[in-house]
Amino acid sequence: MSASVVLASECPPDDPGFCAPSVLEFFPKPLATFDLFGVHFAITRITIILWIATGLMVWFFIAATRNMRLVPDKRQYFAESGYSLIRDGVAREVIGTEGLRFAPYLASLFFFILINNIMGIIPFAQIPPTGRFAFPVVLAAITYVLFNWVGIRQQGVGPYFKNNLFPAGVPKPLYLLITPIEFFSTFVFRPFTLAVRLFANMLAGHLLLAIFAAGTVYLFTVGNFSVIFGPISFAMTVIMTFFELLVQVLQAYVFVVLTSTYIAGAMEEAH
Amino acid sequence: MTDGRQPSGLSDGWAVVGTLFAGVVVWGGIGWLIDLWLDTTFVKAIGVLVGLVAGIYLVFVKYGNT
Repeated sequence: MSASVVLASECPPDDPGFCAPSVLEFFPKPLATFDLFGVHFAITRITIILWIATGLMVWFFIAATRNMRLVPDKRQYFAESGYSLIRDGVAREVIGTEGLRFAPYLASLFFFILINNIMGIIPFAQIPPTGRFAFPVVLAAITYVLFNWVGIRQQGVGPYFKNNLFPAGVPKPLYLLITPIEFFSTFVFRPFTLAVRLFANMLAGHLLLAIFAAGTVYLFTVGNFSVIFGPISFAMTVIMTFFELLVQVLQAYVFVVLTSTYIAGAMEEAH
Repeated sequence: MTDGRQPSGLSDGWAVVGTLFAGVVVWGGIGWLIDLWLDTTFVKAIGVLVGLVAGIYLVFVKYGNT
């Protein structure tokens, strides 16, 4: 597979040096553009990858659970243990039995992020849509609305904000110092760091892979003794691909665990 | 604490880091604004220190007794 299939950025044609892949990878040429209600939309290959990945995931879960049997076949077993990982391993573990009603959301969130992260190492896709900041931002916004809504529903508006902004066991004058910190850490930094953590991991991981892969091609084709360094770059590409798989699974899991932690915190009365 | 809930090291860890970070950023930011306002330079350093102390204190209050 030539580099031009998956790499978006182009080097100046008369530049013989190594041209490293940059964040421009995440801004490929639009395949189609249109305006809807005054909003400009651009369909790029990242959009298409997101559609295909999400479609495959939805298809898999529908197909796996259409004819449910007491003794599951391989597909149903896989889907059930995947769902159970989030339902029992995250929702029940972090939030408690009341958390089970959030299991469908948490599992959808997990598998949506997971499949879109893993697109970073699937041949010919090889870019994680979650590395575009807009996707983590929307996911974090949903989580943000959800945990605040749960907190307000569960505790009432007054007590919810009081519990969050004025933690118990602090002498009154110290609230002057503490309350701004609590406000920013709960209502500003939480959604922000949630989105940035996923986005930055996917962006950095993709660039790492792209640089080693492009470096391999360059070292093997540039001529002279550079060729002896080619295998090192190639080995790094392979090693980092496995490392990326780990990061991709872990980041999907962390996003879901933190979402349920926030929900759990909103459901809890004062400590 | 709801029934069946296990304390999660991962989420508590993130919460502690977030609180410390928020302390420094919020009070450092307030100090920085005061610096802009009064045309000084030292208040942001005081703000960062105040935020660090307040953040550590807040971590003790919220997570220290478990």
